[in-house]
Amino acid sequence: MKNTEITGMFFYNPEGLYPDPIDYSELIRYSFSFPNIVKAYTYSGFIWNEKNILQKIKENNFERLIIAGLMPGTVKALFSKAMTLAGKDPEKVLLASFNDYCTGMVFNTERLKIVLASIIAGVPYEFTGIPDELPVNNATLVVGGGISGIQAALEIAYSNNMVYLVEKSGTIGGKMATFDKTFPTLDCAACILTPKMVEVNQHPNIRLMSYSEIIEVNGKPGDFNVKVLKKARKVNVKTCIGCGTCAEKCPAQAPSEFDAGTCMRKAIYIPFPQAVPNKYLVDAENCIYLKNGKCKACVKACPVPGCIDLDEQDSVVTINVGNIIIATGYKLFDAGRMTQFGYGRFPNVLNSLEFERLLNASGPTGGNIHFRSQDKKGNWIFNTTTARPEKIAIIHCVGSRDKNFNKYCSRVCCMYSLKFAHLIMEKLPEAEIFEYFIDMRSFGKGYEEFYERIRQEDVSIIRGKTAKVEQHGEKLFLRGEDILKGEILENLVDMVILSAGLEAGEDAGKISEMLNIPTNTDGWFEEAHYNLDPTGTCRGGIFLAGTCQGPKDIPDCVAQGSAAAARVIQSILKGKIRNDQASVSLENVLRKIEELSNVAL
Amino acid sequence: MSVRVQPELRSQLIQFGIGDWNACYHCGTCTAQCPLSEEGFLFPRKKIRLMQMGLKDELEASVEPWLCYYCGDCSTSCPRDANPGELMMSLRRYLTSIYDWTGLSKKFYTSELWELGFIIVFAILVVLSFLVLLPSMGYHFTRELTAQGGVQLNAFAPIHVVETFDWCMAAVVASLLISNILRMYYKIIWKYGNMKVSLWVHIREFWLLIFNFAVQPKFNKCDDKRYWLSHWFLMSGYTIMFIVIVVYLPWFQTQKILPIWHPQRLLGYYATFGLLFGLFVAIIGRIQRKDVKFLFSHISDWLFLAMLTLTAITGILIHIFRINGMPLATYISYITHMAVLVPMILIEVPFSKWSHLAYRPFAVYFQQLKRYAVPRESGHP
Repeated sequence: MKNTEITGMFFYNPEGLYPDPIDYSELIRYSFSFPNIVKAYTYSGFIWNEKNILQKIKENNFERLIIAGLMPGTVKALFSKAMTLAGKDPEKVLLASFNDYCTGMVFNTERLKIVLASIIAGVPYEFTGIPDELPVNNATLVVGGGISGIQAALEIAYSNNMVYLVEKSGTIGGKMATFDKTFPTLDCAACILTPKMVEVNQHPNIRLMSYSEIIEVNGKPGDFNVKVLKKARKVNVKTCIGCGTCAEKCPAQAPSEFDAGTCMRKAIYIPFPQAVPNKYLVDAENCIYLKNGKCKACVKACPVPGCIDLDEQDSVVTINVGNIIIATGYKLFDAGRMTQFGYGRFPNVLNSLEFERLLNASGPTGGNIHFRSQDKKGNWIFNTTTARPEKIAIIHCVGSRDKNFNKYCSRVCCMYSLKFAHLIMEKLPEAEIFEYFIDMRSFGKGYEEFYERIRQEDVSIIRGKTAKVEQHGEKLFLRGEDILKGEILENLVDMVILSAGLEAGEDAGKISEMLNIPTNTDGWFEEAHYNLDPTGTCRGGIFLAGTCQGPKDIPDCVAQGSAAAARVIQSILKGKIRNDQASVSLENVLRKIEELSNVAL
Repeated sequence: MSVRVQPELRSQLIQFGIGDWNACYHCGTCTAQCPLSEEGFLFPRKKIRLMQMGLKDELEASVEPWLCYYCGDCSTSCPRDANPGELMMSLRRYLTSIYDWTGLSKKFYTSELWELGFIIVFAILVVLSFLVLLPSMGYHFTRELTAQGGVQLNAFAPIHVVETFDWCMAAVVASLLISNILRMYYKIIWKYGNMKVSLWVHIREFWLLIFNFAVQPKFNKCDDKRYWLSHWFLMSGYTIMFIVIVVYLPWFQTQKILPIWHPQRLLGYYATFGLLFGLFVAIIGRIQRKDVKFLFSHISDWLFLAMLTLTAITGILIHIFRINGMPLATYISYITHMAVLVPMILIEVPFSKWSHLAYRPFAVYFQQLKRYAVPRESGHP
């Protein structure tokens, strides 16, 4: 080993900070196998403060300190200061973080030894922990057909490589397709997204598998065998002409998923008029024929013989790919969990996706804002027969930045709430709009300007979140503190919009297990490196794109989709792909260290 | 008026049980949640802001902490676990120590040793006065009394001596409390805010003080009404007991055992029931820790409950032994009763948790005065 400085090891393992599956005694024993390690301390050994650390440095004449453990950076300042006080170089405090380097959730002692060996030798892990390379299959699987998945699929397809795009629902487009406008440019979301969706459908290199899910992944990087469950669509995609006669005749109804439940669709349906593929599908749960064996109204009405086959069964297809891009997206926070806001109890308390549909020209009311009402069968839906609201309140941070729910900031809610305010102004110029916010996080390019613009418009932007929403007759009552004015604000409004936050998708846990990639405590997929590799994972050949990695706005999703595609194309061009981080062995690392130690700097 | 920022406020407040107020990011949920928070008197968020900014004078001039009855809704709904309810509770402890000019309150709140020490010293003094002082003054000694048969309470604890002592104790406590309230008045109304309140307003609004002392209508504005009832029973029981033993002791402590329907006994029974009911709810709540209200217990909370329970139990024992004609047991219970009661009144009422019996109604009164205050004409720019 090249490094000969007298080094002290400090294992940061405070009790109760984390569930502690790490075998520290074994790690301590291992670190003593390096001749320059003279002493090792644990957190319980003495009280960690500058004075004591200074004393240890002086006692042992340490020239270098290594702090190893979970999030060792939190205590680094103490050590740097102690080194300075001892008259040594404060830069010689190194961190062996057990969270980074894809040690992931499983704190395998062998993996941690690799991290320790690199740090002790003074060679960055990035130079030593390089996995072997494997040959790569040129085909790629993209899981999720939202904007991130679409972007990634198109990028790869245009590099003349095969892409399988697997989408769970009946259409690609994801959440973005349901939006009316995008912030801050107020582009029509459908106008910029649908051409891309059609492109995906028509591209010769993309095999679109809608209404399908991945159920099993085997193999190794460069050569994955993926089993895809093709749910029975019960309508032949090749022959369906999308005329809609079947849906006209269908007697069964269910809330429309695409419209966030704001209106009803038939049991044989097309998610929305611009769906890709623009073909009908049957909702097996609500189909009368599939429930009690009688009906077949759609089959009788269909002008194409044999197009609808209500007895079609699910099938499993196996595909062989070299890389996988996960773009499974997010799910909206269930605003009903915050019972104080009455979502689900009061009809005119809406969540943001519902309101997005209400604003949308292709939505249930053709883009007009109306109250929610009950139809003949008792379903709460929106239609144009009801009156229009005159006062609308928007509550920010519902389910975000809240230790009782999700402690993180969902990033997009402030901006879409401002966008809502603007769109309401456009559609109901007479309406009064109140935005209740905590902090306005207009973080992106052009966002602060957008906020300024909304402030110029006639919108009451109130600092101070309300505590609860109550139904007072027809109206909704809100009580809040206007923090900047220092007064209590009591408000009767007609409609309340809850800016619900983003949560990891329902299937994130399942996919995480299937692909063996970790998620963080909030359920978002863990990237290989927070700053330097946000698209990679600790597994080779598996990449992340979009909101499945963390809350993001559309431009970031698109950027990450392209970035993930670039990584895939890189491996295809090179013909080789790096194996999983977990495949790095201690011998290889020690060998690498030896090689690098002999390089004269 | 100038505003002084005092960064050392933090270290001072921490001693009174205040947790991490830096957790607060000022969303205003707590204020919006609180049914007691009203125009011009916004809390808890605004008070947390004052703490964060180190505005000690502003903090000491606020009545709001006393307007909070700690239902705990703010702590439950707080998105940051900042525990605004407990912050307000700690602030009340701090303010108690600020109003107290002797400095003892601060000692009692910040050091268990001081509080326990004082209680024990007073208890020993009481026991000694029964065993040494009274006999030396020529009164019968316990053993002789016991030998005569029958419970002779007024011979054992001569009614006029006890009554005189009661009045002295009441005078000491009252003078301490009144001087503290004057300091509170000075800080809240006089010194702060450049305002003037006419004498007529003082007189006109005085009924609020009495009304709030008797009924605690603000407590009943909390969403959770259960605690208002148990607190009212505790308060009324205690007040009746206090008046009876200080003002009407000769009427209350009689040698003869009166029939059960006599107002003397009925009042006593009601007061005992009120005390026990209120204590039961509070103690069970603090043990179970289910309600946010009872989640955090400062040593002063427990001491107060323990002493009040002991007083009630020994009081009941005196009664039982007396009507059953058990002299020695009665006398021992009497001494124990006094050994708990005296330190409780001398320490808890002027210096510790119990002082809220005065500060809370006065705070409502001062709040009303502030509402009718007019700006002082010759004020500072």
